[in-house]
Amino acid sequence: MQTPPNPDSGALLFSQMLEILINGLARGSVYALVALGYTMVYGILGMINFAHGEIFMIGMFAAVFALGAMGSAGLVAVGITLPLAILLAMALSAGFGVMNERIAYRKLRGAHLLAPLTSAIGMSIVLQNFVMLSVTKGKVDFPRAVAQPLANTTWSLGPVQLTALQAVIFATTFALMCGLFWLVQRTRLGIALRAVAQDRTMASLCGMKVDRLIAFAFALGSALAAAAGAMVAMYQGVLRFDSGYMIGLKAFTAAILGGIGNIPGAVLGGLIIGLTEDLTSYTIKSEWKQTTAFAILILVLWLRPRGLLGERVADKV
Amino acid sequence: MHKFRTILTAAFAVGALLGCQKKENTLKIGLAGVQTGPDGEIGTAPIRGSQLAIDEWNAKGGVLGLQIEAVSRDDEGKANQAVAVAQELVAAGVKAVIGHFNSGCSLPASEVYHQAGIVQITPASTNPQVTERGFNQTFRLCGRDDQQGDVSAKFAFDSLELSKVAVIHNKTAYGQGIAEVFRKTFEAKGGNVSLFDGLASEEMDFRATISAIQKSGAQAVFFGGMYNQGGPFYNQLRQAGFKGAFLGGDGIYDGELIKTVGAKADSVFITFGPDFMATESAKPFLAAYKAKFGQDAGGYAIYGYDAANILLEAIQKAGTTDADKVSQTLRSQSWKGLTGDAEFDAKGDLKKANYVIWTIREGAFAVR
Repeated sequence: MQTPPNPDSGALLFSQMLEILINGLARGSVYALVALGYTMVYGILGMINFAHGEIFMIGMFAAVFALGAMGSAGLVAVGITLPLAILLAMALSAGFGVMNERIAYRKLRGAHLLAPLTSAIGMSIVLQNFVMLSVTKGKVDFPRAVAQPLANTTWSLGPVQLTALQAVIFATTFALMCGLFWLVQRTRLGIALRAVAQDRTMASLCGMKVDRLIAFAFALGSALAAAAGAMVAMYQGVLRFDSGYMIGLKAFTAAILGGIGNIPGAVLGGLIIGLTEDLTSYTIKSEWKQTTAFAILILVLWLRPRGLLGERVADKV
Repeated sequence: MHKFRTILTAAFAVGALLGCQKKENTLKIGLAGVQTGPDGEIGTAPIRGSQLAIDEWNAKGGVLGLQIEAVSRDDEGKANQAVAVAQELVAAGVKAVIGHFNSGCSLPASEVYHQAGIVQITPASTNPQVTERGFNQTFRLCGRDDQQGDVSAKFAFDSLELSKVAVIHNKTAYGQGIAEVFRKTFEAKGGNVSLFDGLASEEMDFRATISAIQKSGAQAVFFGGMYNQGGPFYNQLRQAGFKGAFLGGDGIYDGELIKTVGAKADSVFITFGPDFMATESAKPFLAAYKAKFGQDAGGYAIYGYDAANILLEAIQKAGTTDADKVSQTLRSQSWKGLTGDAEFDAKGDLKKANYVIWTIREGAFAVR
């Protein structure tokens, strides 16, 4: 039996709070990655991509199947297979993202706002059912051989215990976000994306291939969601065809909270929601975490109707 | 183009109408329950079990001289869908329903069956309220959460000698129901429930809750929920260094749980009916199930099989499909099934529900 910890001891409480912070940040950085996809599509089209959660879910499945295939082909070194699986998942999901744009958005570009919105919801249902019927309606387990060693490896940073699993999540998220900021702020492609976001007509008059750039934004967002999916699959241990629903909803909320259309805002929103949820679970009750997360959202929207960082319109992509 | 579409639509509509014109010389039995979604796997098993029983009856010549037609419907494990399914079944003219699986579905659906005067036997809904509303024609061929949570709490206190347990549920009628009964019994025995909390049934990251469990000083965790969450919850508990027992109800009794937690999972204790699968009389059923569906029958399939057999036997014996007469017949005697002798009380519950404690041994469920 475990020896019950003494809740009065301040040092212990401090280290537990740090642990909660780490857990919350891990959860939040995943929300942030998914939220980036929502925010980019909104920035460029002014629409919400409701199939984004499903792209995330496809990323989960792709990563697991890639790992399974590599495992049966004899490749077992986690240091090689895991990054490879994440990259494969990103590529596949990017493909699905582009397809989603082609089918649900491009044809309806001039239509009423509700048309692409509805077609995206339709896409979401189609993709979910496609995976359910063609893969499995049951759950799929993330390969234990990959997740277990990562979960059991822990590093102590002062009073905090960080598992390799969490380290992978932080490192990957951080690298991808830096990459995205660099791409959007420092490259010609990024400038083109921002130009399309600011004024689509003007951008096309200047000779930019608007359709291609929009498809590229979808691909980019989808690849980020797939990376998040691969990591969530690893972190939770199980995945199912409807796994994208909840996270999609939370990430969407995060994007709104941070100011939809704003890239740093999506990251900030994701981290705030992840931290709020875990702090609520720990200090109050898990039952309340939805309530506090959304209460914060409402409060922020009262004070800043365009979200926390929503005013800097020039940055939106 | 538009004309063509209109014609096509009209053709479909006419086709659909013609399809309904089939002559009614069959006895329709509704098989309702979750077949897709989170509980899809576990919920399909009893429906297949019932289907098997119906096939056997049809091979023997049916019931009351009529062939039996199974009308299977998926309620997706959702309450509103369950009501829609129930209305569809009533409209389709079923004479009785076997289902639903989830308590959250059986509760609203039974209102529809009650109003339509249709016999309902659920093979798996364990929430006490299912039979507590004075519905004369609602039956269940399984135990109740108050029995189940009770057995688990007594086992935790008496056999495992635990004094402090965290109780976590999935906020559903089933999960929260069983968790509340566990808490009541455990506290009545003098135990301490150090944390009582719920997580949405889609949630798969339990780490913050686990920190709270550890903070509360719990020696063990009771989980009121389903296998799809139970597996990752158990794994994450162990990853966080929590070594105490993991208790749960029949919702986590599914082979998929073992696939997630691994064959070496220790200290998992589940309440479920006695081990009927190992009995000699169940062998033909198990073989037939595997032959027809290409899968081993999960623990629930046998309940669906028995429910269908008992229902059809009662209809045969009553000589009518009239709900009141069939209900009366169901209560009047003891019914032989693979799950033992079933006797229904005035509420429609089994007079004797025998939950036992199961655990995971060598990669399979085994009675402790």
